[in-house]
Amino acid sequence: MSPSLFNFTDAKDKFTASARHAVAGKAIKPLLNSFNQIPGNETEKKTTLDQALRSVLGDQIVEQKASCDDYLSLIYLSIQAVTEGICSATTPFQLLGDILDCLPLDLCDRIFSFVEENVSTWKSNSFYTAGKNYLLRMCNDLLRRLSKSQNTVFCGRIQLFLARLFPLSEKSGLNLQSQFNLDNVTVFNKNEQESTLGQKHTEEKEDGMEEGEMGEEEAPAPCSIPIDYNLYRKFWTLQDYFRNPLQCFDKFFWMTFLKFSDETLAVFKSYKLDDMQASKRKMEELRASSGEHVYFAKFLTSEKLMDLQLSDSNFRRHILVQYLILFQYLKGQVKFKSSSCVLNDDQTAWIEETTKLVYQLLKETPPDGDKFANMVEHILNTEENWNSWKNEGCPSFVKERTVDDKSKRPSRKRQAPEDFLGKGPDRKIFMGNDELTRLWNLNPDNMEACKSDNRSVDQKSREFMPSLDEFFAEAIEQADPVNMVEEEYKVVRNPNYGWRALRLLSRRSPHFFQPTNQKFKSLADYLDSMVSKLAKELPKDIPSEEIKTGEEDDDDNGDNLLKDSNDSPSIQSKLVTNQQMDDIATKLGAQWKTLAPFLEMKAVELREIETDSEDVEMQAKLLLVAWQDREGTQATVESLATALNAAGFSQIADGLSEA
Amino acid sequence: MGPVELLHMSVFSQSFSPCGRFLAAGNNYGEIALFSLSAALSPEATELNQKPILTFTAHEGPVFSLLSSDSQLLSAGNGEISAWSWNELTKKNVKPLWTKRPNYKSSLEIPEINSMAINPRDNSLVFGGGDNNIHILDLEHGVFKSVLQGHSDYIHCVNVREREGEILSGGEDGTVRMWDSRTGQSIHRIEVYKYESCARPQYGKWISCLTTDSDWMLCGGGPSMSLWHLRSLSPTSIFPLSGCQRQAAFVQDMILAVGEGAFVSHCLLGGEVKAQIPCTPQSLNTLQLNTNSTEHRVLTVGGSSNHIDVFTNLSYRAFSLSF
Repeated sequence: MSPSLFNFTDAKDKFTASARHAVAGKAIKPLLNSFNQIPGNETEKKTTLDQALRSVLGDQIVEQKASCDDYLSLIYLSIQAVTEGICSATTPFQLLGDILDCLPLDLCDRIFSFVEENVSTWKSNSFYTAGKNYLLRMCNDLLRRLSKSQNTVFCGRIQLFLARLFPLSEKSGLNLQSQFNLDNVTVFNKNEQESTLGQKHTEEKEDGMEEGEMGEEEAPAPCSIPIDYNLYRKFWTLQDYFRNPLQCFDKFFWMTFLKFSDETLAVFKSYKLDDMQASKRKMEELRASSGEHVYFAKFLTSEKLMDLQLSDSNFRRHILVQYLILFQYLKGQVKFKSSSCVLNDDQTAWIEETTKLVYQLLKETPPDGDKFANMVEHILNTEENWNSWKNEGCPSFVKERTVDDKSKRPSRKRQAPEDFLGKGPDRKIFMGNDELTRLWNLNPDNMEACKSDNRSVDQKSREFMPSLDEFFAEAIEQADPVNMVEEEYKVVRNPNYGWRALRLLSRRSPHFFQPTNQKFKSLADYLDSMVSKLAKELPKDIPSEEIKTGEEDDDDNGDNLLKDSNDSPSIQSKLVTNQQMDDIATKLGAQWKTLAPFLEMKAVELREIETDSEDVEMQAKLLLVAWQDREGTQATVESLATALNAAGFSQIADGLSEA
Repeated sequence: MGPVELLHMSVFSQSFSPCGRFLAAGNNYGEIALFSLSAALSPEATELNQKPILTFTAHEGPVFSLLSSDSQLLSAGNGEISAWSWNELTKKNVKPLWTKRPNYKSSLEIPEINSMAINPRDNSLVFGGGDNNIHILDLEHGVFKSVLQGHSDYIHCVNVREREGEILSGGEDGTVRMWDSRTGQSIHRIEVYKYESCARPQYGKWISCLTTDSDWMLCGGGPSMSLWHLRSLSPTSIFPLSGCQRQAAFVQDMILAVGEGAFVSHCLLGGEVKAQIPCTPQSLNTLQLNTNSTEHRVLTVGGSSNHIDVFTNLSYRAFSLSF
């Protein structure tokens, strides 16, 4: 027996009837029952049910007898149907869309409240993906129908609903390009033709021509108060700059902006507002009676209101905060600002100055000016975070769960000290740097070095603070006019010498602490005077030569300590000569690589040598040269021989030692 | 007028026309300038509208005082008073209607006239100046009616108490005297500097500003500016303004005062200083409020500069007229 065919019309009728029942009875059971009874495929039945529900709604709307509650119960029914799985997920949204399209705005308001209340339902998994686009379209259609200035609250509700429904990083809700709403133009009376005050009251004019009156050709349009048109125009022109900040980067517009801003802020500064305690009470009474705050989406720009607006603290706060927002944009890093939109120094300086003034004015504006100013500052600081979020392309805030990597032990990038220290052929300590290695290996054992009293020439004993006469001997000699040493060659001119001299003087000489009225233009002059004082004190019969040969205490040698210059001939081992190296290179040939590790050559250097030359003898030579460079004064025959022996080239080593 | 003259110009006096559309200002060079307020306040006003429509030399010496009656502008120069018709002036006709000079005792010195006031009861002009006396001129007949003597030093300011018809005068000798215009006798004499609360010996005892609205009197100068109750002749509030005030006015329930200092001080009747609105001239000599017209109801101040600041809203300076 073939399965019974699915009859669309039949099914639809049945569904329609049971839907009506369900709506009337406010229960889903009848619908469930009929769904289960009708034969056919799930998908077919679902789509049919969708159609049926929509037609039920259509009938309700056409009849116009249904109330909001009926519509809502139908929608609620459809939600339940989706939960039960008998209807596709898009149906409730389609029904909502249909309703909102067909109803007048006041009823839409109530339907929308239902939508708002069920935002959690919409956000749940089964509904969200299916319905979000429908909801977005529906809300946008509504917004298009509404007027921003008349239905401000409703528009706001819709926007808030969208904000709650979608995640923060939803692209359709973001102003990714950081564009400005250029349509937000503030209209004001730019010239007298547009002025509402332009209507001349002719009868008043005639009455005005009394005796003693001045006759004038054009009596001005009578208004009850004098109006400062100058300020009025400048003030409202500023709004154009707030609307489109990019204008500020153009030179001409910037100058105008500067001028007008300065004038306006000067007016704010001189026109200080009172803390209206008395009027506060009146305001509260007013608020209580009317029940609601009134919000204006746009500024009222009539000239007659200018005075009142200037004396209103809320209005003033609006304008001042607009300034702060503008300045933040101009100074900030926005990815979408073109490269021509940079501020020059003057502009930056003016912005800094004016920002301070604006904050000061905010603090002076009652009530609670200080608190308000601090709050605004705080909010603007948080804006920086949002700005950088936007610059990164508005990434989602949802943290993705990362795949757990096996935590690896961090591999050592460098050798541990124990690996390379003290492993050299004669227990040399390699510091990684040639110079340091040399210094360190002068006397590897620190304790020994400290104890040593050795005054032999080759091994330096430790230097202590020299005595005054030793240090200044040279300076004293130079100061003696007999010697005719020129100013620029005097050792006191050397800043290094001068610094040491000061230190020594502070430790050893009482002259340092004697107050003097003399003013010294430079250190050298001061030292000259000190040297002359010392010269008088110190015994003069110490010949300079003796002092000079004492290597330990002459500071010049101190400099030399750092220089590679210990060329004293009496060295125990001889340095390897070029000739010797050539010989060895020839003998080594291709086996230079074996010798390399014993010469403490790194792999990097070996590779370099290989690439430098093809010839093996050459490479060997290069190896030896590199070794010699590194060792410097330690590149002795002995150490080379040791290395050769260790590498197994004892013949070559012997040959070397004999030479 | 070269830039140096402009730099040294001081505006000493101002007066609004009876229709309220013009302002006359007198300076230290003896000139009077006429400004059109309606042009300066109109929506299409330009820089040119802030310049005078007419400037003419009225006197040899500085014009210390200007006053408007119903149809005339009275100006006081060196010892003489001239009257000009407002109608003629707006038509740029600078011929004075009359010029009169009272009988001064000595013909060697010509005393300047510092201040004028109109007594509406008998349509007479009261003025005082350098000869320590107050003269009364009958405006209808043009004769000098009487001379009030009593001050021992020159007179800075005179004012008329409208309800009682009394004349108040303040002078360099530190006294404020009240006179009966009919009998010519001094009724009261207040030595302001003798009251400890107002006295400021470091500035002196002279009274340079005096204004009254029948029950109350404001006076200031060397001593601090103070509000006096005239019936009891006692000071009720002292205003802690630094510097000497040169002119003050009662405006609604506030007091506006100008003097040394580049600002207009707004004070409350209780004695506190509510605000000080900055102005262009470094120190101010004259303050006038245009009560003759509602649509041109501005406050103008002038002082040691060739600019006259105009305030459409009492709390900030809108623009400046300049000589």
